[in-house]
Amino acid sequence: MKTLVVYPSKELLYVASTLGGEVVALVFNEGEAEAIKGKAHRVVVANVDARLPDAVAEAAAKVAQGVDVVLLPSTKNGKTVGGLLAQRIGAELIVDATSLRVEGGALKAERYVFGNKAVATVEVPLPAVATVPPGRFQGEPPAVQTSVEKLQLDTAPKTRIVSVEEKARGAVKLEEAEIIVSVGRGFKKKEDLQMAFELAKVLGGQVGCSRPIAADLKWLPEEHWVGLSGKKVKPKLYLAVGISGQPQHIAGILESRIIAAINNDPSAPIFQNADYGVVEDLYKIVPILINKISKLKGQ
Amino acid sequence: MKIAVLIKTALDTSQLRVRDTVVVEETPLKISDIDRNAVEEAVKLKGQDKAYGVTVLKWGPLQRRIQEAENVLREALAMGLDEAYLVADEKLINASHAATAKAIAAVVKKVGADLVLAGEATVDNYTGQIPPRVAAELGWPVVTYVRELKVEGGKLVARRDLEDHVEVVEVPLPAVVSVTREINQPRIPTLLAIRAAMKKPINKLTLADLGISVEPKVSAAYKPLLMQRKKVVIKDGTPEEKAEKLIQYLKQEGVI
Ligand SMILES: Cc1cc2nc3c(=O)[nH]c(=O)nc-3n(C[C@H](O)[C@H](O)[C@H](O)COP(=O)(O)OP(=O)(O)OC[C@H]3O[C@@H](n4cnc5c(N)ncnc54)[C@H](O)[C@@H]3O)c2cc1C
Ligand SMILES: Nc1ncnc2c1ncn2[C@@H]1O[C@H](COP(=O)(O)O)[C@@H](O)[C@H]1O
Repeated sequence: MKTLVVYPSKELLYVASTLGGEVVALVFNEGEAEAIKGKAHRVVVANVDARLPDAVAEAAAKVAQGVDVVLLPSTKNGKTVGGLLAQRIGAELIVDATSLRVEGGALKAERYVFGNKAVATVEVPLPAVATVPPGRFQGEPPAVQTSVEKLQLDTAPKTRIVSVEEKARGAVKLEEAEIIVSVGRGFKKKEDLQMAFELAKVLGGQVGCSRPIAADLKWLPEEHWVGLSGKKVKPKLYLAVGISGQPQHIAGILESRIIAAINNDPSAPIFQNADYGVVEDLYKIVPILINKISKLKGQ
Repeated sequence: MKIAVLIKTALDTSQLRVRDTVVVEETPLKISDIDRNAVEEAVKLKGQDKAYGVTVLKWGPLQRRIQEAENVLREALAMGLDEAYLVADEKLINASHAATAKAIAAVVKKVGADLVLAGEATVDNYTGQIPPRVAAELGWPVVTYVRELKVEGGKLVARRDLEDHVEVVEVPLPAVVSVTREINQPRIPTLLAIRAAMKKPINKLTLADLGISVEPKVSAAYKPLLMQRKKVVIKDGTPEEKAEKLIQYLKQEGVI
């Protein structure tokens, strides 16, 4: 058994160690190699730009010879490299694996499918590639002896990075929030979101949002975005305000303990996916909630 | 510019048929949402040249699905594609992703294209792996998660929407590009366009027509996630009374 980890993190190296056998890590500079010394048997340092999926996949394909499983993070570049590499080595790629094990010459894994409405149990022959969502597996990779080697590639990448712009980021950690007040297109103006922030504040929670609020309207940074293509959250209370409850939004809140919803349309699908729903204009009820809850907490 | 648009005839996840397992065969198909954005972008970029749609049918039963897939493709034709290719073969039903990509690439090689456009991910599978796989198969560069696209002088300039930053990249054509929902607003076809689409060709192909063979199928079982929520709906009373009721429920649950 031999596992290759591309873009290694502590989490990925831990998952690799649970599969047993030798762990090889592919990194793109000496600093990264230094950081994972003692956590993988072999570290390969390739002279390619880590931001270019084509180049990373090429390096990975070289190192993947004789490897049974390749693991990557479920980031956008991780999935892109995964697809490129898998096609090159004729392997299957399991994206966002929630469990992984090797048995009888096959990789067995589970993942959510169909808009997170079902769990697929898949079994694919080795070699196989998988990407792992952040925060799913927790553990320490065992301490091992590490050998470091270099990989020189003379690739001429066809892609040129012209510029990079950082996105606005705050200190929001929705994945860890106990209470989330989440906003959708039921809000008419950006300024009105202030109400949701106030409600979140009196509840001691954070503010989340649907995709259009972050991606189309850009009223909030993307770190607030919840759903299939956004954050997967598991608060004890998720309060959806002015969110219709499309399956792609629900996909991000499945693990919430209690889901409550405020929507003025009694036929909004969110009510089928909520524990407690209130049919009401958010502009009328949210100020009342802020008032009542702050009194309650003040007592 | 000649453009191939990859269109997945995906399971409609809002209409999943569920018994002990998900009954894939009885769940209707629809166009995977983000592929509409890919179609829209193709119609905008194609200029005097042609843009065609490519679908590899993945969900069985084959015979009944062909009709459904044709309906999906008619929708894309009504949006402005010129022609469509439907690869329908028993061997591709529940096939591996490697096989799907191989079949798609074979159509692109057969018909020719300067650019392949795809969605960032499908509604039923949500993996985003087919675009890079097709690129690997064609030996072309791939640019994923694109929310803005320009073509100038045989080159493509794209803004990639990544987790923490936006990256502007430049690649030579031919290339494979996957787009996000934010790249454009897909048009709603007019009645006239829908009628015109009835006359546009949908070419059916088998693996034999493409001259390729594929690996064995992948084994997968689908267990529905039963999410039981209490579904208590508060709809009577003044806003004041409703707020009070909600607070009472949330206190009972111990969440506030
Ligand atoms: C592949 C894919 C991935 C996606 N990923 C995500 C994702 O990660 N997250 C996500 O959220 N979406 C995602 N989407 C988009 C999703 O399908 C929906 O379009 C989106 O969730 C809708 O956002 P919304 O509920 O804010 O807006 P809308 O659907 O427009 O709903 C607004 C709601 O507000 C209510 N409302 C209006 N006025 C008031 C008022 N005064 N008081 C109270 N209620 C009011 C309306 O009744 C309505 O129900 C994805 C889509 C696709 C295809
Ligand atoms: N069977 C298919 N036929 C045609 N295009 C597909 C198929 N599967 C995926 N695609 C394309 O690849 C994109 C990403 O799909 P996926 O990798 O399944 O998430 C889709 O949005 C489509 O553009």
